Amino acid sequence: MAANYKNSYRMYSAWNYQKEVEDLNKASEQGWQLVRGGCFHSRYVKNPNVRFRYQLDYGKIEDMGRYIETFREQGWEYINSTFNGWHYFRKIYDPAKPEEEYEIFSDRESLHEMNSRWARLALIISGVLALFVVLSGIRLFRQPNLPRLVQLLIFLVESAVLFRGGMIMRNPDASRSRRGDGALITIFLICIIGGAVSMIVLEDTRPNMMTEQNALSVDQPIVDNRWNDFEVRYKDNYFLDVEIESENPLTFAIIDENGNAVYEVTETSFKEENICLKLPKGKYQLSMSCDSGFSLKCGIE
Amino acid sequence: MKRSEPMSESYYYILLCLAKGANHGYGIMQMTEKLSGGDVKIGSGTMYGATGNMMKKGWIREIISNEAGLERRRLYQLTDAGREALRAEIARLRRMLENAQEV
Repeated sequence: MAANYKNSYRMYSAWNYQKEVEDLNKASEQGWQLVRGGCFHSRYVKNPNVRFRYQLDYGKIEDMGRYIETFREQGWEYINSTFNGWHYFRKIYDPAKPEEEYEIFSDRESLHEMNSRWARLALIISGVLALFVVLSGIRLFRQPNLPRLVQLLIFLVESAVLFRGGMIMRNPDASRSRRGDGALITIFLICIIGGAVSMIVLEDTRPNMMTEQNALSVDQPIVDNRWNDFEVRYKDNYFLDVEIESENPLTFAIIDENGNAVYEVTETSFKEENICLKLPKGKYQLSMSCDSGFSLKCGIE
Repeated sequence: MKRSEPMSESYYYILLCLAKGANHGYGIMQMTEKLSGGDVKIGSGTMYGATGNMMKKGWIREIISNEAGLERRRLYQLTDAGREALRAEIARLRRMLENAQEV
């Protein structure tokens, strides 16, 4: 029984959906009939006694009942729809009938309308990703580092692939490759996953801390009081804000794991923002020393 | 008056097929093929898109049949606006034909 079913994990790009249709038709000829179509996973059942022709439509369907009925009237059997709006249909193949019987779009306008629906979405997403490229670029310029460069390149690839796809779909005369483009899709999916991971790694694991210490007066001098710590998960440039108001000079320092001060300032009145510190991976402690009343604020991100 | 946009062949034939009474999608397709001598065909995807768009424009509306033999079938019916759009398109086509004859 197991041999009667077959799963396929082959992927096709949207602008090459005609290639998928061709492959489905070929599979049907060889006795494998699609029973469930999908972007990542398709299911076939073995039946060498029939032959189907397949078609794909794309778009948000407002009236599913009317949609399925309109297709059924002309002999199309609705198979299923994917989560992202592709609809699979099949029709029993009769070699005596003309090829037009197996088309679902009989004029250029309606085919173009369907292709444009996908193209519009792709170009909007491509635009959003292009904005991400610009934002990444600004941050990269401020804090040059390798992970951020990788992130920028990932967004660039995603945006370019979708832009190209959208332009191909929008132009009805564009020559569409008849070869599969599995390699491109694989690269694209890796970029999607890579982009998501890079956003989590680059944004969520950064220390983001605001802390302050205040005392109107102190009974005895405070020496190297370590009141807070933070962890750096990857080497990068981090930005420090410090504000000191004190009667006598106050020493503020950031101490690394080896006890070395990576930053130190001794002042009575001091305010500076966006002090750029290149910090290697590791744990850091905030330290202060003072022998009078003071107010100290510090933030790092 | 605003000049109306030329209609696509499919839109034109769908309206034409509804001029004498309501019909279902399959009926429209068959009638179109017959009228055009097999030249014009309306595929399912084209039919769904065109009827949907024309319902939005208010040119046609959907009714449920209560005729014997066609119970609960979905039928399309021409509205007054649809009839006007068809009339304007025919006038446009006629003028184009006359122009061709003048030259």
